[in-house]
Amino acid sequence: MSFLLNRLLSIALTLVLISMITFAVTNILPGDVAMMIMGTQSNPEALAGLRQSLGLNDPLIVQYGRWVFGMLTGDWGNSLIFKVPITELLGQKIRSSALIVVLSMAIALAAAVPLGVWAAVHRNKWQDTLSSSTALLGVSLPDFFWGIMMILLFARALGWLPSSGVADPATDFGAALRYALLPSLALGLGLMAHLTRMTRSAMVGILNQEFVRVARAKGLSERVVIWRYALANAIGPVMTIAGLQVGYLFGSIIVVETLFNYTGMGWLTYQALLNRDVPLIQATVFVIAAVVMLINLLVDLLYVLVDPRIRLE
Amino acid sequence: MKRFLSTKGVIGASLVLLVLFVALIGPLLIAPEMATKMDMRARLAGPSFNHIFGTDQLGRDLFFRVMLGTQTSIGIAGTAVLLSIVIGLPLGIVSGYYRGHVDNVLMRLVDTLLAFPALLLALVISAMLGPNLQNTIIAVGIAFTPFLARIVRGEALRVAQMPYVEAARASGTNDLMMIVRHILPNIMPQVIVQATISLAFAILAEAGLSFLGLGTQPPNSSWGLMIQASRDYLDVAPWTALVPGGAVALTVLGLNMFGDVLRDVLDPRVKG
Repeated sequence: MSFLLNRLLSIALTLVLISMITFAVTNILPGDVAMMIMGTQSNPEALAGLRQSLGLNDPLIVQYGRWVFGMLTGDWGNSLIFKVPITELLGQKIRSSALIVVLSMAIALAAAVPLGVWAAVHRNKWQDTLSSSTALLGVSLPDFFWGIMMILLFARALGWLPSSGVADPATDFGAALRYALLPSLALGLGLMAHLTRMTRSAMVGILNQEFVRVARAKGLSERVVIWRYALANAIGPVMTIAGLQVGYLFGSIIVVETLFNYTGMGWLTYQALLNRDVPLIQATVFVIAAVVMLINLLVDLLYVLVDPRIRLE
Repeated sequence: MKRFLSTKGVIGASLVLLVLFVALIGPLLIAPEMATKMDMRARLAGPSFNHIFGTDQLGRDLFFRVMLGTQTSIGIAGTAVLLSIVIGLPLGIVSGYYRGHVDNVLMRLVDTLLAFPALLLALVISAMLGPNLQNTIIAVGIAFTPFLARIVRGEALRVAQMPYVEAARASGTNDLMMIVRHILPNIMPQVIVQATISLAFAILAEAGLSFLGLGTQPPNSSWGLMIQASRDYLDVAPWTALVPGGAVALTVLGLNMFGDVLRDVLDPRVKG
């Protein structure tokens, strides 16, 4: 019980810190929201009036307080470029991004775990060299480069999948999946490479341990030893790395969603940044950081489920 | 030494040296005009004797452009990593060496910053400061600092508990001398390994930033910028994306291989 309370307190504190950092980073810019709304050529008096009415002359701490209060009460402000309340914008964007994040993670894990195990089992043989070199090449290419390759191959040359666009998973899941597949593949390939390397090194460490030798000596089949004994011990570290990669993934979606005109959170963040839509930047950056933090927390908790040696304190 | 001479070590080191060589010597041998000269009759021309890597949408030679882009990309990435070390190293050491309240506050901040994807942080900073070469360096540098501070802190914490540090303390060494003489030299291997890996990520980050138009700006030329320009011509001239993409891949590949081997050599705890 005290563990849960501690965790909840810690989450609340971290959310406050995230909001402070978000607010601080978005307030270092020269120029302000009033200038954004009226343009740089506007009448200084009108500008001063707008500043006053927007509360931009208040001390930063007051502005911060107003922003946090707004977020807590469901008023996230209006986007300057889309001219609508930010809360209206977010729903579909979050669903669409969630779809490609989950899909790319699934693709990456499904391929990386067998590949990493395969490489570790055949350590220093050709299988290892092949799997490890592919993984190394995978981590060396930027995600948008994979994206361009996906567009060239699957959209242009083969014509199987659309290279741009989005559909809301809540209204038409099939269509949403079609649009999500290429961006997810582009994201998943880089991710897969990282996870393959991690799985391999975790498995190599475990296959050298005594209990593996004992299991073999007991006469268990190699398949049981590797997939039931060794992998069960490797899955924890791999999950932790996968959790950490979620942060990386949320950075990559900005580039990949933009490349595919896939209008999710990444695309929205990019539009906000490009147009210096400060309220929208604050909202998207806060949401992304909060989601990354919560997912990592979830992974920590899942770790306990897969590894009974770890107890909640 | 033997492990440096493994296939991986040799390939990695050669790639890194090659890229460094091009970054340093390239601008001396190649006049900037060779990369900016437009040949309108040979726009989007494929690789040929005249233009071995082909040309871009303005008929500029891709071989010379990618060569000169090397200096920008490596320069930005290198300076950014240096910046993250200059900020992150003292923070990490102070946190790991003194522990207590300083450590709690600093690491709470660092952990929170780690919830922000590095690329997102870099993009926000760059967009806010106004995208240009100098701000790209600042953005990438700051975005990478939390990682470095975390690793340095862990290492400083480990080293500070070593018997030789205790011995030095018993013989009356003050904190400053302790950090300079005992802590710093012993965490350097980790910092070097981390810097190599960060450099690979910084090159990818610069490419990402420039690709989105929030990094290096024309007339400067970097690899990311070249890939961005190629987007509209992919169907007719895929080499415009493959040439700079290949340059990024080879550089990052080299750094990753070199970093892997460096880690194996410098960190006896890791056995590949």
